[in-house]
Amino acid sequence: MGDPSLCTGCHRCEMWCSLTKYGEINPSRSNVYVVRREPAVDVPVVCIQCGLCINVCPTGALKRDKKTMAVVVDKEKCVGCGMCTNVCPIGVLRIDKETKMAAKCDLCGGSPACAAHCPQNAIRYEVANKAAAKRRELWAMAHAVRNR
Amino acid sequence: MWYGFAGKLLRVNLTSGEFKVEELDKNELRKYMGCVGYAAKLLYQEMPAGIDPLAPEAKVVLATGAVTGTSCPSGGSYEVCYKSPLTGTWNQARSGGAFGPKLKYAGFDFVVIEGKAKEPVYIYIHDGKVEIKAAKHLWGLNVEETTDTLIRELDDPEISVATIGQAGENGVLYAALINDRGRAAGRGGIGAVFGSKNLKAVVVNGRGGIKVARPKEFAAAIEKAEQWLKNYPLGSIPTLGTVGLVSLNNSLGILPTKNFQETYFEKADQISGEVLNRKYQIKRRACYGCSFACGRYTSVISGKYATPPMEGPEYETVDMFGPICGVDDLEAIIRANYLCNVYGLDTVSTGMSIGFSMECYEKGLLTEKDTEGMPLRWGDGEVMVKLVEKIAHREGICEFLAQGVKRMAEQLGPAAEEAAIHVKGLELPAHEPRSESKVLALQYAVSPRGGCHMHPNWASTWDFGQLDCGMKEFGMPWPPKEVQDESPQKGIAYRYVALQGEISEILGACIFYSWGTEGSCITPQLYAEIVSSLTGWDVTAEELMLAAERSWNLKRCFNAREGFNREHDKLPKRFTKAIPNGPAKGIKVVNLDVMLDAYYEAMGWDRATGNPTPEKLKELGLEFAIMAS
Ligand code: SF4
Ligand code: SF4
Ligand code: SF4
Repeated sequence: MGDPSLCTGCHRCEMWCSLTKYGEINPSRSNVYVVRREPAVDVPVVCIQCGLCINVCPTGALKRDKKTMAVVVDKEKCVGCGMCTNVCPIGVLRIDKETKMAAKCDLCGGSPACAAHCPQNAIRYEVANKAAAKRRELWAMAHAVRNR
Repeated sequence: MWYGFAGKLLRVNLTSGEFKVEELDKNELRKYMGCVGYAAKLLYQEMPAGIDPLAPEAKVVLATGAVTGTSCPSGGSYEVCYKSPLTGTWNQARSGGAFGPKLKYAGFDFVVIEGKAKEPVYIYIHDGKVEIKAAKHLWGLNVEETTDTLIRELDDPEISVATIGQAGENGVLYAALINDRGRAAGRGGIGAVFGSKNLKAVVVNGRGGIKVARPKEFAAAIEKAEQWLKNYPLGSIPTLGTVGLVSLNNSLGILPTKNFQETYFEKADQISGEVLNRKYQIKRRACYGCSFACGRYTSVISGKYATPPMEGPEYETVDMFGPICGVDDLEAIIRANYLCNVYGLDTVSTGMSIGFSMECYEKGLLTEKDTEGMPLRWGDGEVMVKLVEKIAHREGICEFLAQGVKRMAEQLGPAAEEAAIHVKGLELPAHEPRSESKVLALQYAVSPRGGCHMHPNWASTWDFGQLDCGMKEFGMPWPPKEVQDESPQKGIAYRYVALQGEISEILGACIFYSWGTEGSCITPQLYAEIVSSLTGWDVTAEELMLAAERSWNLKRCFNAREGFNREHDKLPKRFTKAIPNGPAKGIKVVNLDVMLDAYYEAMGWDRATGNPTPEKLKELGLEFAIMAS
């Protein structure tokens, strides 16, 4: 769950994600995306685990993990065709340039590195109910006319 | 295979329009660690003495270090190293934002810029590719317009743009280079150097990332740093930004006021961090990779000082356009800051130049005849804002102001000398060298770039803050004697303060995180753990100290070759006179020479000249810097 109101645009979540997944520091190999724009826009964008990508995968490489309910990539099956990237509604699925396979957030098996290290608590791992409420809030705010 | 570093240096010659990529030599790089250390070696060896900083022969090095662009919490910095047109000394201007990290992700640790383009150009560096592109259409545009145009033109919202504004084009001697719209490589006039080369901007982006030699160990070291920083002693800075210092410093009588004539500002509560937060702040903003987020976005929504959302102001800027000019209107201060951001001006030198002229006006050294009929009265925010605008364009009286305090005072004659608050031509920042701390007074006198509280450290953190920053175990005198003591202990201690700060500089780290004690800051020992696991080199804190000492000595050698020596390590006259009012009333600097002697001796430098001895340079493996004389 990413909360733009607290995010300072530091990109530390991206760095921790790539460090955890690939042992390097590389925001372009991260599964969380911080959109930092001028003036004063900082939005951490993470996979909402909606599952839309599961259905379009021709090889059945995407599936839901029973424990975390995250949509995960089966490395044995993924052929890197990129079908999944076409349907992801928020654009957080990518074909990794080195492994040539789909890469997306797998919630780090239930202990997300990004959330643990966000200095502002702008990325949090929440229980389902609270997360749903927060998502509604963010969705609404993102589309509301700014009238402050 | 390189870990931690990209391993490459890019050399761009603007005269020929050619560039060259050079592989770095691991052993040579490790000797200096990187960033300003390696840049000092490059400039010392490649830029002979006496070169006019605004001539085509002058070189500029954009430098990153081992931790730049990594998850080391201080890794958002890069440095621009060059000879300053304002001071004629070595200069390095650090800036945060995203530029340094993105330069490294693009595949380069250093960019050396040489020559002069026939027509305006910008340099575009992306994923190992380099292009020198025409910038005629950008010339005359301000920083915001240039940045926005380039984002549209290159069709990439994630580029980082470091550009000059009109001030740099017009050769204002303290023009800045501004990256990411509001982050300034501020001090010493790098903007004028860019302008003299017909270089409008450097644009970077990359997806290369940085490889880590021992990821698990590195992650553990970074986790330790994150843990330690939870106890950071200046932890209040994120809530109020650095502007929080305004109230604190005023209550202690160390807030420079009316061009350093006083150190206490009656109306300080009207321009405090609290007011800024409540009325003007939009949000907090961090540099790339920073967990601290001292930066902030503010805006004045309406009225004659309205600004769009902008980065700043910082403490320095609030003091410069506030108390230094006697101004108590925060909106005028924010507006002046905005103009500096978009025109590309150093807020410190700009504010001090205006403060200086206000004092000269008060004393009758400047009259309305000189100022096109404009009275330069203390506290007149409207005039101040107008002056900033005119400085950027070098209009009227501001042709004069655009040269900085030292040159102005020389032209006005001996009577103006008392008001000229600079060291080696660099205007002092917003820290009082009499009352804040005596090690700070020493630092101002000896800093290689002139009156500077940041390069390579903020000495008051040792003296005033009683923070050892991990240096006790290296032999730093401990505890510090009282803040106002001027004994040799202060001079000896400054050696440690300087070298500890220089470690951040050679790693490409933001200096903020190195203030504290073990368990509350990133000490040299913790930096050694971070750098070792990152690069795979087994670096110790001692090795970092030694590399820092090389860098610190080389800068001194650079200046020595330009003719600077002990004689130039002095403070403005005003500081030998007592502070007239406020909580710090009566304090002055008495014994700078005692501290200087002890410091030179501790550094292994010649006492008479204040410069490194041949023996010292041999010991450091810097034989090439021994001067033939
Ligand atoms: S780590 Fe947190 S504050 Fe930093 S960019 Fe990510 S979400 Fe924003
Ligand atoms: S990657 Fe995109 S489509 Fe797939 S679960 Fe996440 S948000 Fe949904
Ligand atoms: S939970 Fe893990 S995989 Fe997902 S974005 Fe965060 S760090 Fe990356």
